[in-house]
Amino acid sequence: MEILQIQGLAKTFGTGHLEVRALADIDLTVSTNELVALLGPSGSGKTTLLLCLSLILEPTAGTIVFDGQPIYQQGWTGVDMRRVRREKIGFVFQSHNLIPFLTAKQNVLFPLSLIGQERAAAERRAMELLDYMEIADRADFLPAVLSGGEQQRVAIARALANNAKLILADEPTAALDTQRGMRVMALLKEIARENQSAVIVVTHDMRMIEGFDHVYHMKDGRLDPSRA
Amino acid sequence: MDLAVHDLKQHRGRFLATVFGVGLLFTIVLAMNGLYRGNIQEGLALIKAANPDLWIVERGRGGPFNEQSTLPEHYRYSVQAAPGVAQANAFIYYSVERQIGGQSRHFSIVGYEAPDGLGGPQRILAGRSISHAHYEMVAHPKLGVGLGEQVALGLHTYTVVGLTKEAISPDGDPIVYLSLPDAQEVLYQRDNQEIRSARDQLLRNLASQGVSGSQAERLLNPLQADTHTINAILVRLQLGANRATVARDVDKWLYLSAFSTDDEVDLMLKGRLASMSKQLLLFRTLLLVISVVILALVVYTFTMEKIRSIAVMKLIGAPNRVIIRLVMEQSLLLTVSAFAFGLVLIQNTYTFFPRTIVLLSADHLMTFAIAVAGGVLASVLGLWQALTTEPAMALGGG
Repeated sequence: MEILQIQGLAKTFGTGHLEVRALADIDLTVSTNELVALLGPSGSGKTTLLLCLSLILEPTAGTIVFDGQPIYQQGWTGVDMRRVRREKIGFVFQSHNLIPFLTAKQNVLFPLSLIGQERAAAERRAMELLDYMEIADRADFLPAVLSGGEQQRVAIARALANNAKLILADEPTAALDTQRGMRVMALLKEIARENQSAVIVVTHDMRMIEGFDHVYHMKDGRLDPSRA
Repeated sequence: MDLAVHDLKQHRGRFLATVFGVGLLFTIVLAMNGLYRGNIQEGLALIKAANPDLWIVERGRGGPFNEQSTLPEHYRYSVQAAPGVAQANAFIYYSVERQIGGQSRHFSIVGYEAPDGLGGPQRILAGRSISHAHYEMVAHPKLGVGLGEQVALGLHTYTVVGLTKEAISPDGDPIVYLSLPDAQEVLYQRDNQEIRSARDQLLRNLASQGVSGSQAERLLNPLQADTHTINAILVRLQLGANRATVARDVDKWLYLSAFSTDDEVDLMLKGRLASMSKQLLLFRTLLLVISVVILALVVYTFTMEKIRSIAVMKLIGAPNRVIIRLVMEQSLLLTVSAFAFGLVLIQNTYTFFPRTIVLLSADHLMTFAIAVAGGVLASVLGLWQALTTEPAMALGGG
């Protein structure tokens, strides 16, 4: 089942001689259970594409259909975008980005509280996810006392909390050593296979993409067809 | 999920320090509220304790408390004879500084026509009222004298026959009640050298005007300063007499000014007490503004420290109300905690202040409402920063 269809996506910043074309002619389709990697050097447009997919940056041209719903259609507001994000998208960040004043469990509970899940059920779900990430014994610890790998596993648990249809991971292994990075990638692969989710990983680390369904290289704001 | 409380738990030290600092400011604001009320209570205490139907004073003067008023004592007989007047008594009031118990004490003296004249103490705390024409006093316990104690004032010694707390001077000094002649004597008492010197000066003045020595000696007593002066005449009206009519008659026929007790209160509130009240209002306003500025800075700092977390919250879809609640709740928690600290502190310390502090629930409520409004205002800067934070900040560059 196709979860994401992108056609002719383009994004430019500025006008006239100051115009910068960050994205051009992006066509991409991602289905449920697929694991997709976006590779490319700095400035290639990976993050701009990620921002567009995260529904926080409106493209200049092209269409995005997410879970059968055209995004950025006329009349959509920031409130609609946030609703889609909290209900259907999970995020994993480069530097974990856990909320520092919440414990591991509370960090996982937070997105559940946003979608109005009942407290006891949310607590159960959070503990299940932490258990799945093999970090349940650290549930009541603050992020500051967790290792980098542990923090990233909590971040993945948080991304999964809302049963996201799409998980967007921005350089999820950048702050980890190779061994821990491999472990995180293995988890993301497992999630894509077992959770009916699609996973898009932005990375520049070639070592981490083994076993991905699709690997797209980005260059100058375009997907490089010769290397797809 | 209560994000604000979770965050504050992580910054317990700073939270408590802010509550302590801002709480002290609120303590001062509440103390000033109490001082303002106390200032009015003290300023009006003597007027309300005496509470005659009319205060008769020197014409055109707003005396005897708001402005100096001096009348010859015998005027009271004219007032007594006015239609509608049941009782008219002389009243004298002044401030002195004397040695009492080896310490220099500032206090005010009220002289009234003891034992039954208007203007005397009404509620005796211990002992009795003045019953003899001389050498008895009723004092406020703040003066530091006890019942039966002998107090030297000028040439004579007075016995403390009663204690009363009902009146305090408008300056917050304790009141001492004396009989009218005693009060006049204490007021006009001069030492022998000063009396001799004044007599010599008067004789020289008379001689320079061609008055012979024997004539000057005869004129000496009538020409010397009259000590039978008073500050006001207090009037009780006959049953059914019209206050305004009596006041008009006194003004028209006796060339004196007459005020009701309410008029006296009004004179004080608009006169002597007004500038102090304005001063206190200004201080209170400044302190509240300072409190709000400090709260705003603390809330802003708290918010700025969380700005990346706020970006993450926005990216994962937190609606604005979650962010607003986080910032606003922290601001209000700080404000309410600081106010509560200030309130508890002033409730437990106000008796140690030298001036009367009158704490009223209505004032507390009003200050609390202003503080909460200030707390909301204080969060505006932090809110603005939080709401304009881009969720993209949560993502890395690439």
